Amino acid sequence: MIWCFDFIILLMLVTCAFAAIWSKGLLSAGMILSAYSFLMALLWTEMGAVDVAFTEAAVGAGVSTVFMIAVVYHTRRFIQPRRYGRMFFKLMGLLATLILGGLSLYAASDFPSWADPSEPASLHVAPYYIENTIRDTAVPNVVTSVLADYRGFDTMFETTVILTAGLVAHAVLRRLGRRRDPNRKTNDGRPVEAHTSIVVQRIARIMVPFIQLYALYVVAHGHHSPGGGFQGGVILGASFILVGLAYNIQTVLARFSEPLGVLLANTGVLLYAGIGVACMVLGANFLDYGILSRVLPGTSPVMARSHAMLGVEIGVAIAVSAIMVSIYINTASKGYHDQGL
Amino acid sequence: MNDQLPALIIVLPLVSALLVNIAGRVGRSYCWLFTVLVMTAVTGCALGLVSRVMTQGIIHYRLGGWPAPVGIEYVVDHLNVLMLVLISAVSLVAAIYSGPAVQREIPEQTTSFYTLFILLVAGLLGMTITGDAFNLYVLVEISALTGYGLIALGQGRAFLASFNYIIMGTVGACFYLLGVGHLYIKTGSLNMKDLYQLLPSLYSSETIAVAFILILAGVWAKMAFFPLHTWLPNAYTYAPTATSALVAPLMTKVSVYVMIRIIFSVFSPEFAFHISAVRHLVVWMAVVGIVTGSVMALLQTDFKKMLTYLIIAEVGYMVGGVWLANRAGITGAVLHVINDALMTLSLFLVAGVVTYRTGGHQVRNLQGFYRIMPWTMAAFTLAALSMIGVPPTVGFFSKWYLMLGAIHGAQWHFVAALVFSSLMNALLFFRIMEMAFFDAPDPAQAWVGPEAPVSMMAPVLGTAVGLLAVGLNSRVIVDRFIQFVIPAGL
Repeated sequence: MIWCFDFIILLMLVTCAFAAIWSKGLLSAGMILSAYSFLMALLWTEMGAVDVAFTEAAVGAGVSTVFMIAVVYHTRRFIQPRRYGRMFFKLMGLLATLILGGLSLYAASDFPSWADPSEPASLHVAPYYIENTIRDTAVPNVVTSVLADYRGFDTMFETTVILTAGLVAHAVLRRLGRRRDPNRKTNDGRPVEAHTSIVVQRIARIMVPFIQLYALYVVAHGHHSPGGGFQGGVILGASFILVGLAYNIQTVLARFSEPLGVLLANTGVLLYAGIGVACMVLGANFLDYGILSRVLPGTSPVMARSHAMLGVEIGVAIAVSAIMVSIYINTASKGYHDQGL
Repeated sequence: MNDQLPALIIVLPLVSALLVNIAGRVGRSYCWLFTVLVMTAVTGCALGLVSRVMTQGIIHYRLGGWPAPVGIEYVVDHLNVLMLVLISAVSLVAAIYSGPAVQREIPEQTTSFYTLFILLVAGLLGMTITGDAFNLYVLVEISALTGYGLIALGQGRAFLASFNYIIMGTVGACFYLLGVGHLYIKTGSLNMKDLYQLLPSLYSSETIAVAFILILAGVWAKMAFFPLHTWLPNAYTYAPTATSALVAPLMTKVSVYVMIRIIFSVFSPEFAFHISAVRHLVVWMAVVGIVTGSVMALLQTDFKKMLTYLIIAEVGYMVGGVWLANRAGITGAVLHVINDALMTLSLFLVAGVVTYRTGGHQVRNLQGFYRIMPWTMAAFTLAALSMIGVPPTVGFFSKWYLMLGAIHGAQWHFVAALVFSSLMNALLFFRIMEMAFFDAPDPAQAWVGPEAPVSMMAPVLGTAVGLLAVGLNSRVIVDRFIQFVIPAGL
């Protein structure tokens, strides 16, 4: 731990949090939150939680900023002051913050020291994971083995949470039947090109293949290095979002159509749950991958666990990338799927 | 296959939801039938678990084959097996009922509706069955997100109502997660049973005390316990009919279950109830909640909104009952979780039928309803009597236990609140009954047929009969299940 480095990051973090709340401009608040996420990612890295940092950078600083911009684009750019009860809400907010802050300080008075090897969290189940992951699963990245095997059931539902978010965005925003926004100008039935910048488009064109290749690497190499399905999926989805930002929504939909997105999102989670069900059919408990060695030729139960983890990571990546694209298209076009942002 | 029942009850709805979502794009007319079949199968699983728990005792199921603190464990005991049956039965009824309502109100979102519906049920079942504090949080997220979506499918103010619910629901879930994080810092474990064994030596720790407060505050926000209830009335009122039939009876009740589970199986009653000032404070909050909910319900002109305020009052019953911290009080609270779910279901089903027939859910829409729809009103009368607490309906029995608990603990203000709320309910429902019986039907509604479609009427009448059947069997529920739930020290 480098305390001065930590101190600076934490100071900037608090400043960002204040600035985001202080700012009357919603777009700038979104940008500040993106910076906040980036600082968080730095902090996670410094703590040694590289997988978390990776996710924070991809999701927090990356795609969620784009979603926020899309929402601001369709709503309004500045906060409208409350007409009544301003003081009351401010006081209630202050009171809640003071109580929560006081409680947190009170709780922290009894925390174990930073990075203390004898703290309870380092002594109970964590040593089991660190010592036995190779023996149990042959996966060197402990985070992956905890995420996809020891606590794989949580991860299946976390993926379902993302799927649900996409489904809800679709259910609430998507305007079926009415294909076009009646209030928007069109050019012979085709949407108006709101922005065409040849520089942005060219750069995006060059970047996208590399981004996608990197995403696949992150998914496939999650066993050995930081990364995995979530991060890879978000990066893969982000490559399509980049196309949408540089060109338009039609261009994305031509490559990633709506029915395909729905199919992929559900298939991804089905792949995860399906591997679990396969274990059940073969006579073991749900998600007990070891038994899959019976159907995977030439594998021991330990290697079967490793392979099954790759399988579920691929499922996560498919689902997450499809959902990211779907949420982007629905929020950026207000559900009309014709133009926007 | 019998050994796999605990996993099956969650995995079956999860996989079905995904299949509905894919297949629904092809033909959405089958979504309803498929959902009903899935819910029937889930109810079958729940009943299978009941018979296993009754013959073999507590069931442990290792997900991924890993033993408890290392992996995630499902634990089925006498408390949550009751909840599993309740959730699956209520969602089966709501699924059957939803067909015509979805077709009329949200035909374009049929597929999304049923996908979210089944996922919500999976989330609630998972919250109930799990023996892992973090796994519970993940499933809270599932049930919350699907709930926001299902409510936002309603018209007009549903968006804003759902947004307010998102804010409060997210704050609640965050508090719960923060609390679990604090527990992990001090113990290094997420498994409930493991925590239960590790925590007693740490009860004097400040961190553990804060963890308890945070978890409790989070769960209270989720269950709309006074004064964290403000999100609930609008969210449940403006939701589509089919959504409120599922969400209103179950969401708050499952959160009450989570509170009971946390107090009894993660912490212990000795820890939770050892400061009598805190105990009294919570009972007082419950009293204020009961009174506020009842009074606010009386002031409403919207029938559905009136029912939502009654939910808030009933949450006060259950939280107060648990914090009476004696045998009768806790028995009453657990029994009331079941009974209130049935009563709320019954009332919201009736409100849905009224909406289906008249296009609105104002109290005045019920004018002359005894003449137009005698069967619906028979069910309504029964549910109303149950809310008031007239024997032999379910409402009487749990209120009886709660009353005994309050007298036993000498909490006279809680007794007074229970009596007050019963009187208010009587006033409220007799006023509606009078109007529905004596006033002439609105001529503008004369075109409507006699009763709602069979798929709506069967659940309405079935639930009404259930109110009597469960009420008459209260003794069985208490003797066979609830008495094992209460820790020995109380």
